[in-house]
Amino acid sequence: MDAQQNPLTDLFDEVAYLYDGSLEGLLSAVFEAYARKEHPSDVISSELVQPRLSQRIHHVATNDMFARRVQRGIVKRCGKRTFWQITKASTSSDPRVGYIIYRFIRYAIDEHADARRALSNRAHPAVADLLEAVLSVENECERMRQFARFEHLKGDDIQVWFANVNPKHAVIPLVLGHFVERFNVQPFIIFDETHNIAGVWDGAQQHLIQISAAELVSRLPHHSANEVAMQEAWRTFYRAVSIDARYNPELRRQFMPLRLWKNITEMQEDIAELKQIDPCA
Amino acid sequence: MDIAQKLEVLADAAKYDVACTSSGVTRAGKRGQLGATSSAGCCHSFTPDGRCVTLLKVLMTNTCIYDCAYCVNRASNAAIQRVCFKPRELADLTIEFYRRNCIEGLFLSSGVIGSPDDTSELMIRTLRILRHEYAFRGYIHTKAVPGTSPELVSELGLLADRLSVNMELPSEKSLQLLCPQKSKGTILAPMRQIADSIAEDAETHALVRRRQTTYLSAARPKRAARAFAPAGQSTQMIIGATPETDHHILNLAASLYKGMHMKRVFFSAYIPVVTDTRLPQTDRIQLNREHRLYQADWLLRFYGFEVDEIIDAEHPFLEESVDPKANWALNHLDLFPVEVNTCSREMLLRVPGIGVRGAQLIVSARRQSTLGEQELRKIGIAFNRARYFITCNGAYCGSGADFSREWLLAQLKKPIEGGRHGRRADRLLAGQLSLFSEDQSDAAQAATLLPEKAS
Repeated sequence: MDAQQNPLTDLFDEVAYLYDGSLEGLLSAVFEAYARKEHPSDVISSELVQPRLSQRIHHVATNDMFARRVQRGIVKRCGKRTFWQITKASTSSDPRVGYIIYRFIRYAIDEHADARRALSNRAHPAVADLLEAVLSVENECERMRQFARFEHLKGDDIQVWFANVNPKHAVIPLVLGHFVERFNVQPFIIFDETHNIAGVWDGAQQHLIQISAAELVSRLPHHSANEVAMQEAWRTFYRAVSIDARYNPELRRQFMPLRLWKNITEMQEDIAELKQIDPCA
Repeated sequence: MDIAQKLEVLADAAKYDVACTSSGVTRAGKRGQLGATSSAGCCHSFTPDGRCVTLLKVLMTNTCIYDCAYCVNRASNAAIQRVCFKPRELADLTIEFYRRNCIEGLFLSSGVIGSPDDTSELMIRTLRILRHEYAFRGYIHTKAVPGTSPELVSELGLLADRLSVNMELPSEKSLQLLCPQKSKGTILAPMRQIADSIAEDAETHALVRRRQTTYLSAARPKRAARAFAPAGQSTQMIIGATPETDHHILNLAASLYKGMHMKRVFFSAYIPVVTDTRLPQTDRIQLNREHRLYQADWLLRFYGFEVDEIIDAEHPFLEESVDPKANWALNHLDLFPVEVNTCSREMLLRVPGIGVRGAQLIVSARRQSTLGEQELRKIGIAFNRARYFITCNGAYCGSGADFSREWLLAQLKKPIEGGRHGRRADRLLAGQLSLFSEDQSDAAQAATLLPEKAS
């Protein structure tokens, strides 16, 4: 290893593990940390890495077999619920999340007397950080369930309901089941434009596809005949239900973050209005 | 008249109905059927006033034979256009919006057209199309119109998830004054019927449950196709149009929760929309009072408070400057400060700044480690409020040495400090010197706050 050749780096032996951004990659990194008896100071997706001074870099090759072993180990020691929380946290776009999960696993397996109860020790920083990441992901899931708006697209031989969304975290795999449950009668695509992930329901099966926006849009048919009229009707309804005497835009913005407005049917007018007043908005 | 115009008129007419929740019932999706509901509900949009849009909230019609003084749809109001949805139009509209994930379902209310029974028939026809023809599994909330015959109410209950009968006003006297055509009897009768049907339904369901502890199989009924109003019933009343005190209102709410097993009692601050000599002649909307009443309502339902702990006949109105829970704590300073690491969950729930979730998290976290200020902040309680009423591991967390009612009240009344950046940072505090003259800065603030009015 290169660390053995250089006495200087030996003193400040710091290593960063780079993985490919997937959960399997992350679990492989955890496996290697145990196998190599190392304590990496960063576990980070290779796209987001910015090496620290005198930090060694170790590239972790994603290995499904190792990942499964780690998964089985966590489920056995900490329980299914804990592993589910780790899965949820892993979809976060926060660059620190790899390390947060690694540190939690180390804490639960190595330090905690009863790994099954590790997750309920909220006061410990390793647990608190993980739960914070989970909360952030869950909030984003809820916002998708709330604000994803489907449009009806219809071509000559194909029809599909299409929703464009821009979540902070890559939560499409987590919310796809919710939409499949309630919209199982209509084929739909929910497309995450920030992470280029499309969740597809074809009427019988669900798929996750990595695809760029340009490519996806070029394959989609146009609006169906009554789509524009229905969107207008929804905007009409939205304008009609507001009570002017209670006007409170700050409250609305807390519940419905501005960054999501561009994909919410009824908010597109407001965003155009905001831009007129303040071009930076 | 096309459907979009009807929708505009009837949504506008329905907007003063407060309840817009899709909660209380979980119904999983089914292959080949549209829709599902979840017990927590889901808010799909928020109006510029910050209220959520969960359901397509419309009236069947805004024609009304009644002449209630405060209502925009009153028979004598000649200023509005009267329209009526056809059942199929409304059902189609609901489905179209539902497919676009704009709503969780339908909230159907109505003015009284012809007679209460005629109105209910119209509503039932709409719901039948939704439930039977479209096999819609989403959420439906309907109003039971006072004076409807019991058979129609029971059919409504089997089609809808939640039923509600409007209480309208908090006392019989006010009811006589403002809506002389309605009476306490006609309002309470359907409410009682709904409560009884829900209770009966719960018993039936308990009997058909698989695991039984007693042998009752001989009397086992067949399972009903649908439960009766599985999400329960709610009601609403207008606050501030008549002179009732908060003491009266909260006692009424508590008796409705106990006697009628209401899921929710909604309060709606009176907003002047029509002029009438019997109504208060003021433009002031009692939003703060409404807010305090809701806080008290939460204390009744989730925090284990009794009405007489929150309010008594000698002080019949809730304190405006602090919330009812903080007010209770200030009146019972002999019980505080409490030690977060040892005190009971019930006592934690009574600490201002600790909510139901906070109390539960504290109880589970303190099993494994001792909680101090940092840990409590991590857990996510409102530490800056709670600090005056708690000790962490024996140390008092408050920022001063004074523990008198007046001093604590002053601390709790202080405006929330907005930090050094963000929108609250430039908020002027009373008495603070400003570089600009008063009206100028007000105008500048108004311009940033109200983009719509500025344009």
